Amino acid sequence: MTKIAIVDSGVDTPEEILMAADIIPFRFFGDPSLNITKANEHVPPNHCIWARNLLERALNGLDADIKGLITTHGCDCTNREFDIWLECVDLDFMYFLNAPLKRDKAAIKFFVDDMKELIQQLETKFNVKITKEKITEAIKLTNKIRNLLKEISEYRSKMVLKGSEFHEIVKKVQQEDKKQTLAMLENKLEELKNKETFPEKMKRILLTGSVIDDSEFIKNLETLGLQVVMDDICIGTRYFWDSIEENGDPIKALSKYHLKKPIYSTKIPSLQRFDNLKHFTEKYEVDGVLNVAQKFCEPILYDHPHMSKAFKALEIPYLFVEIEYSRESFKQLATRFEAFAEMIGGK
Amino acid sequence: MSKGKVIKSQMLGATQKLKNEMGRHYLAIEQAYREGKPVAWATSGTPVELLYAMDVQPSLPENSATISAAQKYSQNFIEVAEDAGYSYDLCSYFKTNMGVTLTKTTDLGKGGIRKPTFMLSSDVICDTHVDWFQVQAERFKVPHFTIDVPHVVSNTTNKQKNYYKKYVKEQLWEFLDFMSDILGYEMDMEKAKEVANNSWDLSMVWQDIYKLRKNIPSPVSTKDTFGGLFPLFTMPGLKTPIKLYKRMYKEAKQRVDSGVGALEEENYRLMFEGIPFWYNLKFFNFLEQWGAIIVYEPYTYSFSKFMNPDITKDMIVSNPVESMAELMLSFWYIYDLKTRIKKFEETVKEYNIDGVILHNNMSCRPNSCGQYDLKKHLMDDFDIPCLIIDADMNDPRKLNTTQVTNKLESFIELLRERKKR
Ligand code: SF4
Ligand code: SF4
Repeated sequence: MTKIAIVDSGVDTPEEILMAADIIPFRFFGDPSLNITKANEHVPPNHCIWARNLLERALNGLDADIKGLITTHGCDCTNREFDIWLECVDLDFMYFLNAPLKRDKAAIKFFVDDMKELIQQLETKFNVKITKEKITEAIKLTNKIRNLLKEISEYRSKMVLKGSEFHEIVKKVQQEDKKQTLAMLENKLEELKNKETFPEKMKRILLTGSVIDDSEFIKNLETLGLQVVMDDICIGTRYFWDSIEENGDPIKALSKYHLKKPIYSTKIPSLQRFDNLKHFTEKYEVDGVLNVAQKFCEPILYDHPHMSKAFKALEIPYLFVEIEYSRESFKQLATRFEAFAEMIGGK
Repeated sequence: MSKGKVIKSQMLGATQKLKNEMGRHYLAIEQAYREGKPVAWATSGTPVELLYAMDVQPSLPENSATISAAQKYSQNFIEVAEDAGYSYDLCSYFKTNMGVTLTKTTDLGKGGIRKPTFMLSSDVICDTHVDWFQVQAERFKVPHFTIDVPHVVSNTTNKQKNYYKKYVKEQLWEFLDFMSDILGYEMDMEKAKEVANNSWDLSMVWQDIYKLRKNIPSPVSTKDTFGGLFPLFTMPGLKTPIKLYKRMYKEAKQRVDSGVGALEEENYRLMFEGIPFWYNLKFFNFLEQWGAIIVYEPYTYSFSKFMNPDITKDMIVSNPVESMAELMLSFWYIYDLKTRIKKFEETVKEYNIDGVILHNNMSCRPNSCGQYDLKKHLMDDFDIPCLIIDADMNDPRKLNTTQVTNKLESFIELLRERKKR
């Protein structure tokens, strides 16, 4: 089946439109083991290292079944670097989706317009018909997936499912054929229902920050006794927390869903991200909050001092780290994580 | 490389009056505070004209930040912001402004600034503008309006631009409502037309000055344009800066007519892309020892925003609100890579430019992104010599003078060799 790669600094791409065209939405992830060379010829050194890694991957060659790309506006990086991708990545279909910065009525209308344009360009390029019925069908499927993910997610908090394993599951869902992932999720849920809590005592962490797509990063936290019981990241709850309206115009429903779901640092007012986090800290009885920024991630860097102050006021331990998007940095980070683990109270 | 005799470029006499003009602007801000009139912070690229049309005094933190830098205070303010948790890697305009407000600096001579009635930002140029004002609006507890401008990329179609425009237009009307709610009165359309008219005239004279720079030798150097640009984004809509620009034009024209250049001996004509180092403007004089002069800066030119050939004065004046949408979407500073390459190539030809210096600004990711490809295309496709220098517009810690000087020396040497061909 044809795949379309999605480059998204948040999680604002309406996958259902692609599914309605029988195309697999394939979220593009980085590879922390890559040695970056080619991308450095296009992107100056002080630009987001995660986006740089993605470009390097693309320049090394994409899988043959990837026939196009959608880059969704999130931060300055995505829109400026899209032009570079256009220049040097060899794909026939490339669309820049202007997911709005704001979340009001005018923004919802605008996003509908941009999605309609995407539909039209997909129809022309791939000679398909993307009907509203098919989109609604796709929405019903992704809603089921979202509900399952939401249920499965809770097992992290119950100390039955490791945060890293859950992260891998969400990644799979974002890359594979949704029908297949539905079955996988159903099985997983059944399996979890009968599983015991894990024996080791772990501290409860709420994870926030930039896109984190390396599950090893979360595994590394686990080796230090930190379990991610909750998150508000894009390869995490932001992908499935709310459901899409199944009645009425599906394009409008998609637009509303994306602009009403828990806010991310790339949108305005991003400082409200804290409100959601605060709610999670209470509901999931977390011991501490970990805010992870990919190096040079401006949206997170702007929000961090506000969050730091706000968590301090609530007396909730908060740790901010910038990461280099390479596993070699794990050792160095371990010292900080260990100190954090020691500092926060276990339950 | 041996240097030539020391030749200093001559600033236009009229440019000396710029200080008075900007002084008038700061005085107006002070007066507004004294009299309890509304003051708004605005980021560059926003339609400041609409503030003037609503009798709101604009105060632009970016402009104030350049003063902090020119007066050698920016590093101190930046470090204050960093101590408050703002990263070393964030925009130094933002950090200067944050440091200014954290230290409660209101002295205009240091780039001081005060709490406004409301704030206006837009992501048209960068996300920083929006994040910056969001953070400050939260600290000051003042209302903040953001104009979300969809991003035009290299394959955006005209059809797409049309619905982009529709979205921006809708927000412009919303912005007027936002102001009315705060101020308790509506915009006077006649006043808005007058402001639009003045803004157009101001920009046109600036563009005329620019056209004169095509002459060899160029009558105008960056001594006139780097500072000369400020009225364009702080006072679009007022009459007095038009007079100043007209004087600058007249004097430059006289120079052209009598074959006099800003530099006594002009050997190399350069283009400078990016924001200058405000804390070290003298650095640019350094080029003069080789008879090199910068004759075009997309940055200072871009603020004369009415450059879309499809836009006429009539359209602007008869429709002073909605026409801003078109302008925000066709701003030189945010051109997509393909258009940027084309525009650079055309400009190099039109202005007889020998080489292009690109400032890889550590603060400004939106501007520096794509510069490597731009350079590659200009060099490989059009045989235009280019040099990238790494620095920062407001943070002196990020300019390695020795390294940049050496790079410039080698670049001039290269240009010299080419001239011999
Ligand atoms: S990690 Fe941050 S800077 Fe990088 S693409 Fe994501 S939001 Fe943008
Ligand atoms: S320097 Fe760049 S990042 Fe900073 S405010 Fe200006 S355009 Fe935005």
